[in-house]
Amino acid sequence: MSSHKSVPVPAYTRTGRPHLDSANIVIVGNGIAGVTAALEARRYMPNTRIVIITEQIHPTINTPALKQFVLGKLERDQLLAYPAGTERAERIHVVTARVAYIHARQKFVELDGGRGFGYEALLIATGSTPRGLPSHLPGRNFDGVLTLHRLQDYLDLRRRLHEVHEAAVIGGGPHAIETVMALLQRGIHVHWLIRSATLMPHVLDQHASEMVIARVRRAGASVYMETEAVGIMGRVGTVAGIVTKQKQLLPCQLVLTCTGTQPACTLAEHCDTPVHCERGILVDDQLRTSVPNVYAAGDVAALENPQTGIYETRAQWYAAVLQGRIAGAVMAGREAPESFGVQWHATHLGELSMLTVGNPLATGNGVTEMIDTSQGGYRRMTLVDNRLIGYLSLGATQPDSLAIKRIIDDGLAVHDITKALLRGSFDARKYLSQLRSRAAHSILIPQKGYVAVANPPSQVRLLPVTGPLAATEALAQEQGKAHSTQPLPERVQVDAYANSKDEVSPFAGNLPALPELVASGPAPSKRHSTPRKL
Amino acid sequence: MFKPVLLHKTGPQIAQEIQACIGCNECLLSCPALTEPITIDVLNCQTLSGAISPAVARFARSCYQCGACVDPCPVGLHRDAMMMLLKVRLLRSAWEE
Repeated sequence: MSSHKSVPVPAYTRTGRPHLDSANIVIVGNGIAGVTAALEARRYMPNTRIVIITEQIHPTINTPALKQFVLGKLERDQLLAYPAGTERAERIHVVTARVAYIHARQKFVELDGGRGFGYEALLIATGSTPRGLPSHLPGRNFDGVLTLHRLQDYLDLRRRLHEVHEAAVIGGGPHAIETVMALLQRGIHVHWLIRSATLMPHVLDQHASEMVIARVRRAGASVYMETEAVGIMGRVGTVAGIVTKQKQLLPCQLVLTCTGTQPACTLAEHCDTPVHCERGILVDDQLRTSVPNVYAAGDVAALENPQTGIYETRAQWYAAVLQGRIAGAVMAGREAPESFGVQWHATHLGELSMLTVGNPLATGNGVTEMIDTSQGGYRRMTLVDNRLIGYLSLGATQPDSLAIKRIIDDGLAVHDITKALLRGSFDARKYLSQLRSRAAHSILIPQKGYVAVANPPSQVRLLPVTGPLAATEALAQEQGKAHSTQPLPERVQVDAYANSKDEVSPFAGNLPALPELVASGPAPSKRHSTPRKL
Repeated sequence: MFKPVLLHKTGPQIAQEIQACIGCNECLLSCPALTEPITIDVLNCQTLSGAISPAVARFARSCYQCGACVDPCPVGLHRDAMMMLLKVRLLRSAWEE
């Protein structure tokens, strides 16, 4: 439940400018990126004025948990991303309104109705909008045609499910797969229409795609590849079936569109100073846009992929949380607390757990590709110079996904663990513990190091070592316990990050020191610490 | 003087995992030790910092590290490690008192 003050103000002054309130930090959007940024900024600046302006009429929710909500495993109260009342407890002012224009030169935003907020720093966290069905598709406005994106869509879907026997799902991404499986679990027959020849062609190879589709077929869905809807049939204004381009009529009472999202850049186009957009608002590693004092984070922000150099959005939960933290810190005048690292996505695709990190489909000179299909799963790794640059796993259980991301981000040599990674039996805790024990030495002896990643097709970009464990890797190599079988290139050398907060102190074990750990959320007020009923 | 304690994961790694938590509640749904309502948002916040409510404290003490919460996690996180950290925080706050 958002807390905001309704203060009636005259629309405009006699000079024609809106009445201006002001805040140090103004955030547009109360998705996970926006609220995380607000909370992070509050951590650093206890007395600064922070305002969130949002059109959303409910607090921040865990949107990935909406599929559990549809299945009836969760109720609405359990969808909250932060305990109720968090914004109020942290003195973050929430205003329910639409931002109409950004006056970047005068540093204020204008809201519908004439109110305005001056700012020192502005964060655009407007998220994404669904692509939906083509505007010309006949029947797209029939009752029973839903585009699943927001909480309201899932509320609508949950109310309808008891009266549905057959449904059609349109889309070929993880969202569509999760929706298909959720409907099958509710006993609904599903017709799944996929436009491309394989699933998620930028993420999964042919084998992995076929594996997922086979599982979904075994679960009872009818899957139609290279198929598109050309029309929706209705009866008295309600969905009765869907017509494919192969001229098949598939009966159904529900058509669910899961065709992906696009960054919500509309606000960026309403600014007196151009905000550079290209498949998202372009930002640097500090989430700064092309306009001074304006930042962007979450689904709307396009960051440089460190492996390909291409600017692209990362429309994933963890990426949005991380960007929110970094934006909050930077707007509060601090250094970014961590780097983004490579792309990372872990989820369930039906009965299968999927993990994709970095660029597992990379090809080119210097790129080694390894595949393993044992134990009923599928794993694909790409390596350059004994460094992991991409990892794809499909199987019954999820590996230690963040540990594998660390290995890629930190450019650690994987000679000793290649087999385990390939077989899906990698023990991340043991491996990282062994590295940390060497880190205790490196705390005393500064080291240098580097990492190489591949840019398709054949270039190798050398990046400076960034990870906290990279120092240990360099030390291990100096001491002759090198994992790498080849000498490391010497073109780029930087001082390694020797005193990471993540390293084990040799004197106190790895207990968290007081004050407490880095927190991404607030300490809830005692008023809200009583348990709530499920 | 505190003696070294080997946790499943270091504190910052657990903080990172909590940031990656999507709040699906699958870990709580699979937990055999959870006997009263606790929501994931409250649990995540109180694992990292701040006051620990009586209900969360009871849950942390009840947790016997069976690991049933790990496999259901769609994102590959380790709720057992998070619960261990919560246990350690509870112990430390008791020592300080």
